[in-house]
Amino acid sequence: MRLSIYRFNPETDLKPRMQDYELAPEAGDKKLLDALMRLKTIDDSLSFRRSCREGVCGSDAMNINGRNGLACLTPLVGLKEPVVLRPLPGFPVIRDLIVDMTQFFAHYHSIKPYLINDTVPPERERLQSPAEREKLNGLYECILCACCSSFCPSFWWNPDKFIGPAGLLQAYRFISDSRDTATAERLAYLDDVYRLFRCRTIMNCTEVCPKGLSPSHAIERIRQALVRESS
Amino acid sequence: MRLFLGQRAWVLQRVTALVLLFLLALGAATLLTGPPLDYERWHALATSTHGAVLIVVFFAALGLHGWIGVRDIALDYIHAPMLRLALLAVVGVLLFAIVIRVVLTMAAHFAGGA
Repeated sequence: MRLSIYRFNPETDLKPRMQDYELAPEAGDKKLLDALMRLKTIDDSLSFRRSCREGVCGSDAMNINGRNGLACLTPLVGLKEPVVLRPLPGFPVIRDLIVDMTQFFAHYHSIKPYLINDTVPPERERLQSPAEREKLNGLYECILCACCSSFCPSFWWNPDKFIGPAGLLQAYRFISDSRDTATAERLAYLDDVYRLFRCRTIMNCTEVCPKGLSPSHAIERIRQALVRESS
Repeated sequence: MRLFLGQRAWVLQRVTALVLLFLLALGAATLLTGPPLDYERWHALATSTHGAVLIVVFFAALGLHGWIGVRDIALDYIHAPMLRLALLAVVGVLLFAIVIRVVLTMAAHFAGGA
């Protein structure tokens, strides 16, 4: 198979370049990450992140043939050649396919991604009804791979101010949690022309989420919650 | 201006969009039904009390909707504060002038008793 991969080493390169590779996948190579791992044995200077290799850690998010995805979940079969691999768009490149996610996680931390409940804790645990727990489905599964935020034009335009689809999906995960008592504070924080309302409902986030989640739907629900809160 | 921040601008944009949609549909239905549209009928529609009020409401909603839309584009693409402020001021004045012009035209018509 043929691959064309974005290469950039800040220590030696003035500007990035695309490097072509020819690779013969072996029988066990099913996913794009398998091919990249095999390529790494040929060219050990190629840098990319990976860890769990099964779509749980979100480390190997990259732009694959113009579309963000996880290398470990992308089948080799059906990939158009040459397979063009680039780092996540809109993120500063550290080296090759590795991007700097500092700002992405700063946005994530800004929405206080943990349960806030000032009431006296019960002896064992805060129970939820099945219906209350059901509301978290489609939200808690986010692995923070950044495929969505990196494919969002609103995030490209204002990466320092717009929280982005991943952060907003996580924000709604806690807003909709029956055990959380800080809904009003969370909504007040999000009621901002940049943090939430830069979303133009382009829906690239929902289109590329490798876990099949819908950040745009979560953003819409936050907007509805804001309207309900203020009416 | 708090009115144009966060969800208020977002709600205003959608409310004005609904107003515009309703008035456009109403206008289309009015024009497509009844006798052929000539100058006399157009004049009568525009200068009736209901017609005049709806035209003013339409242009007011259009001005507000347009300004919020331009503001959104400016927030996305123009990051220099003074340039953005200048653009929003110019567009705001232009849209406001259009609305005032419509109001004055209608007011002059009714004041003249025509």
